[in-house]
Amino acid sequence: MKLGYTIIYVANVPDTVAFYERAFDLKRRFIHESNLYAEMETGNTALAFAGDETAEMSGLAIRPNRAESLAAGWEICLVCDDVESAYSRAVDEGCTPISKPAQKPWGQAVSYVRDINGCLVEIASPVSSSE
Amino acid sequence: MIIPLGYQETAVSPNLNSSKASRNVEAYWSFTALDTGESIVLPDGRCDVILRFNIHSTTPPVPIITGPATRAYTVLYKPGDSWLGVRLRPCHGSLLWGKDITDAADKVLRQEEALAVMPTLAKLHRGGLSETALASAVEQCSAFSQAYQINEKLMEALDLVHLSAGRLRIENLAELVGCSSRHLNRMFQMAVGLSVKTYGQLVQFHRALSLISNQNMPITTAALEAGYTDHAHLSRSFKRFGSFSPSKLPDGLSQPGVLS
Repeated sequence: MKLGYTIIYVANVPDTVAFYERAFDLKRRFIHESNLYAEMETGNTALAFAGDETAEMSGLAIRPNRAESLAAGWEICLVCDDVESAYSRAVDEGCTPISKPAQKPWGQAVSYVRDINGCLVEIASPVSSSE
Repeated sequence: MIIPLGYQETAVSPNLNSSKASRNVEAYWSFTALDTGESIVLPDGRCDVILRFNIHSTTPPVPIITGPATRAYTVLYKPGDSWLGVRLRPCHGSLLWGKDITDAADKVLRQEEALAVMPTLAKLHRGGLSETALASAVEQCSAFSQAYQINEKLMEALDLVHLSAGRLRIENLAELVGCSSRHLNRMFQMAVGLSVKTYGQLVQFHRALSLISNQNMPITTAALEAGYTDHAHLSRSFKRFGSFSPSKLPDGLSQPGVLS
């Protein structure tokens, strides 16, 4: 077994992809013509977005990801060298600031925002780089 | 799930077709019985426009209009008995019933009563019955041709009820769509003809039934996954909406194409 995809159910897939490009400087791999599925260019383990209605089609029942709701109990962690500017960019593009960049004792800079769907996104530096 | 032989359904996607009726219609369906039998039709909270006839008889079709269904009913049929129907989107019950929608749950109008609501059904004769003819009759009905403003908050709330399979409480739904619980409930009553709670319970029931019958999930497991507190809670819901026990699912269930 290996981790294949992280798929986040969202109300609007194209809007979310465009937002992730602007706010987090990720690139899209593709958006399916149905606009119900998309993958970002994140290497071997794809970060993907699926339309809410596809959850129902698969027989699932979910608590929808919405900015108005309490955040779900999991997060995406994006790693970069310049956490300060990545955090500022994300907030400037419309992320909700939750926790501004802070230096951790183990040498990592860590910050948190919520994206347009209310999902928690951690923006952090690589653990090993500061040591 | 055993769907009787001869049942057919065409779902209507509002994105692919922009005709007036398509925005109101969820599916066209038809059923022609090849033998004698009975079928339990499960409630889905929607209103239907139906023509009932027998392909071996020259008797004119019987027009039927239903209110939002919350109870199962048994249909007895013999060879040649046929139904041709249109299932409306849940938010469009008020197109048929007007203000009476608030009191239309489980009501059925037949013959003249149905024609009073949709006079264009009288034009349909035994010779030319088809999905297209029925679609055209529905589209020409004055209530359906009027510009109909769909309330976006209501549509969004309905989507959220389906997405969560009835597990979000009205307070959560109201917060997510940005209105009060009282207002949301009123919108449901005025358009769907059911309370938010009843509609959500129907969706929850269908998902639990699907988990048990399609996924062969043990009843207690299905109860928890579907959001019931326990086996007994699920059983009460099955009794209410299906008139059967979860451990004895009847043959001949006709489950509408709205699983959750």
